[in-house]
Amino acid sequence: MEAGLQAHVAFHLTGKTQSDGLEAITGLDLRPALFAGYRDLTRLRYDFPLVLAQGAGEGRAPVQSLSAVIDGALRKIVQAGEADRLTKHALRLEREIRVLVAAGVAGSLSSLLDKAAWRPMAQADVLFRDSLARLRAALELDGEIVDCDKAMPARLLAHLWRAMQRRKARAARADIDRLVLRLSDILKADLVRSEAGRSAASLKAAFGAAHEHAFDFDAMSRLLQKAAPADTLSDSRRRRIRRLVATLQAQKFFPPPDRTTADGEFYAFAFDSAAGALDAYRERLPSMMDLAKAMAIAELEAAGAYKEERHDAFFADFATNGLDPRDAALFPDYLVRVDGGVMSAGDGARLMDILTAGLPMKVLVEIDDILEPSAAGGGQLVLGARSRQLASSAMAQGDIYVLQSPSSNLFRFRERIEAGLEYRGPALFSVFSGATGEAGGLPPYLVAAAALEARAFPAFVYDPALGGDWASRFYLQDNPQAELDWPVQSLGFEDEAHQRGAERLAFTMVDFLVCDRRYAASFARVPRARWNGHMVPVEASLGEGAEGAPETVPCLLMVDGDNRLHKVIVDRRAMREARRCREMWRSLQELGGIHNSHAQRLLTQERKAWEEQLRRTASASPAPAVEAPPPPASVAAAAAATELPEAASERKSEEAYIETPRCTSCNECIAINDKMFGYNRDKQAFIADVAAGTYRQLVEAAEGCQVSIIHPGKPRNPDEPGLEELIKRAEPFL
Amino acid sequence: MTSAATECLLRMYDEHHELEDYQSGVPRWCTGCGDNAILAAVQRLCRDEDLRPEKTVFVSGIGCSSRFPHYMKTYGFHGIHGRALPVAEGIKMARPDLNVFVNTGDGDCCSIGAAHWIHAIRYNMNMTVMLHDNQIYGLTKMQASPTSPKGLKSNTTPRGAYLEALNPLTVTLGVQNVSFVAQAVDWIPEVMYDIISAAFHHKGLSFVRIVQRCPEWLPKLLEPWLHDPEKVLLLEHEDAIRISPSLAQVYKNRRRHDPSDLDRARETASGFDPIPVGILYRNPRVPCYEELRTAAGLRSTERIRKGLEAEFDKFTVWPQQAAEGAPAE
Repeated sequence: MEAGLQAHVAFHLTGKTQSDGLEAITGLDLRPALFAGYRDLTRLRYDFPLVLAQGAGEGRAPVQSLSAVIDGALRKIVQAGEADRLTKHALRLEREIRVLVAAGVAGSLSSLLDKAAWRPMAQADVLFRDSLARLRAALELDGEIVDCDKAMPARLLAHLWRAMQRRKARAARADIDRLVLRLSDILKADLVRSEAGRSAASLKAAFGAAHEHAFDFDAMSRLLQKAAPADTLSDSRRRRIRRLVATLQAQKFFPPPDRTTADGEFYAFAFDSAAGALDAYRERLPSMMDLAKAMAIAELEAAGAYKEERHDAFFADFATNGLDPRDAALFPDYLVRVDGGVMSAGDGARLMDILTAGLPMKVLVEIDDILEPSAAGGGQLVLGARSRQLASSAMAQGDIYVLQSPSSNLFRFRERIEAGLEYRGPALFSVFSGATGEAGGLPPYLVAAAALEARAFPAFVYDPALGGDWASRFYLQDNPQAELDWPVQSLGFEDEAHQRGAERLAFTMVDFLVCDRRYAASFARVPRARWNGHMVPVEASLGEGAEGAPETVPCLLMVDGDNRLHKVIVDRRAMREARRCREMWRSLQELGGIHNSHAQRLLTQERKAWEEQLRRTASASPAPAVEAPPPPASVAAAAAATELPEAASERKSEEAYIETPRCTSCNECIAINDKMFGYNRDKQAFIADVAAGTYRQLVEAAEGCQVSIIHPGKPRNPDEPGLEELIKRAEPFL
Repeated sequence: MTSAATECLLRMYDEHHELEDYQSGVPRWCTGCGDNAILAAVQRLCRDEDLRPEKTVFVSGIGCSSRFPHYMKTYGFHGIHGRALPVAEGIKMARPDLNVFVNTGDGDCCSIGAAHWIHAIRYNMNMTVMLHDNQIYGLTKMQASPTSPKGLKSNTTPRGAYLEALNPLTVTLGVQNVSFVAQAVDWIPEVMYDIISAAFHHKGLSFVRIVQRCPEWLPKLLEPWLHDPEKVLLLEHEDAIRISPSLAQVYKNRRRHDPSDLDRARETASGFDPIPVGILYRNPRVPCYEELRTAAGLRSTERIRKGLEAEFDKFTVWPQQAAEGAPAE
């Protein structure tokens, strides 16, 4: 083995640099080559920062990207001739806002726009001032601006959660107020009818002071006392309604629209620990049941449908087995925010309790570092083990909404986050913030995005509301090039001869690891003079067996601060982590239906069977001569045999009858003889008892019938007088 | 929004009504009168839909047909001549939860009440309007009405009516916001029931003209139509009325008519020989006035009092201000 390769292999196997030819990467400010284009995020228009819209939930997206907000405003103001100037100024302002936000300035869109406007140009510039004023007027919304940083996931989730809570509270509150008013009206009407309500004092009080001397309330009271109403409320109903009103008015779950939960009069539902949320839930459960029960009874009372003999027993045992999910969905959901980095085993168990019990809680587990070494030793990384465990146990439960995503992808997942918040049941949001503090100069957005690209923290959603199987519930497609092990991007560069070159590079777990200072020792830079053919890209190397002395050494392409390319070789430990990461990703792929082994196995079987069948068909004797079609069966004969049966035999004309469905209920026949003719349950006439009247009456009814549907038939009594004439008259109606 | 438990309980103990539960008194209409057929069909509808009597109201104006509310054991309002529709609109506005029906005659609706009729169509409030059209003033003993055919001799037109009859269907179909127009005849009760039922289920103002016999004053007028099935044109469509096989045997003159086609509806509606029977037009997307004008918030006593005070204050003379000569605000 040549010396150069020897040194590289030695480093790869041991992680130690034994020769001068290799250089530690610490201090070189290297980053993966694919990051070359993302050195200054403030110059890029991308999803972040976000605008958390105020007054969300009124037909407007609750969260939008700054770029989209600016674009929306521009679309409204841009006119021919001024398009270039307005666009230039607007984009300039947008970049200034990015710079401010990146520097840690917080505030609303309007306040940051003000600050940004001071920076770029002299305010004296008339055209710029005009652009600013028009842009400001065209902005459709205002709200806090948040960048992709450590606090963003919690702020975004809390913002969406609050919008949802407001919607719920508004609906429930309207319902409760309506019921209170309705029940109070019932009580008021009862009071007015009562003796006390008709007393002189009460009448006087109801009248008001202006003209009270003009009336004799005693006389009025005496008069009204005489006319005692027949129906008043029963004592038990009055007591029940009063109790209901008291319960509905004392509820602490839904503040009115102009109030918040901050003043303590109403319950707060956001918690920083699972234990706190669980305690609050248990404590409030009885009042929640009471309120749900009161609302159900009040609804019946308001409709006048409450019957004590039926409903008392039902409501005595109301919700002993838990509330109906539709009723439970009326109540606020709890928001629990947990720091996955410091979560103890006890916290984790409590969280699982919440999730498996189906409590109405939305849990955000944030994790800032997925690369910390495992506590078990052995040098392995945890790769966000705790949140991964939580997510997979939750998914195994089957009825829990689970969303996992690095923070960089949260904006794209905004509708799915809302779906999780709306989901009737617990939801788990597991987020990697990217703010590891160990990534050198990389902003959290890039770290989070790198974790997604490198499959270190894949994005997925498990939504039980979408269907009954994994294929409809599990969503993995937001990961870049989800069908591959590692996403492949194209890298353009300029070579020594100043010629353009391009290479397809896979972004692997190793690229993610190299961003982390703690793993710098796993990498060594190879000076350009020592580059050799044994250095192969990591992706290619990952495919080879890990055992034995390798003939090649995996290497990474990286760039320094001046975007010059460097090659860095990788030790075995980093490669091992990459393999583990790939295994986890592959098992996720299978869940998501990508390269699913069951499906592939089935496909192979089916294909084999199909090919086999094809072969058999081909080897069979040549196609036989076309057989003559079977002689036509004696169709005609068959048809003749199944001649339609005789049309339904007509009713015998001897018997009297009425074509009841055509009766117009006009009473003509009933007026003649209401024993002989009767009405059915649709109030249409039929012959109830033909013996209850004479043939003459039948004939007269037939003649009188407006729609001529009475058929008198033949006379039953041959001795009836005048029969001959009657039979003649009946003829047209037979 | 109703809680799941309540909904379930209400369904569990749903009360069933019989035809008798909606019958009140013996109708004072003449025997043979078509009003009886309409009454029977409406009572059947109430029973089949299990309408709660206390949640149902029939409103009428003046005329034979307007005695209708007396014979329904529900709430009712026997109004003044031509004003059934404004009363019904007021009821719907205040109590959108009620099932509102209007029974009006050709004189009541198309003559003295014509202005209300036009605007009620435009308002499109959710109610079922039945125009009992016997083409004569019957209660006052035979005077010509707007729908009396040309040449009809009556107490007011002894030499025969001079004018062409007004066609309530084409008039209704010409008004903006029209959302449901149908025609029934009292001598085919099965189709009349289906039409009234469809009208009840339509959200918006459903206008059903029911051509009705008056055996007392015009016993012969409709006889040709009554006795010749060819003179009835049944309109059928999978989205409208389906004709039963037994009826189809009698009435061979049928046409497939799409109730969403307004132009075709207008054309079809203008004929009387053969007389079209069925749903002429239906558009469920027309907005209802009561929903457009629903005030947000609850009508609590305080709110009503405040509103009234504000209104009265406009006309209040403030003694002190008057004394000072200052104009009242």
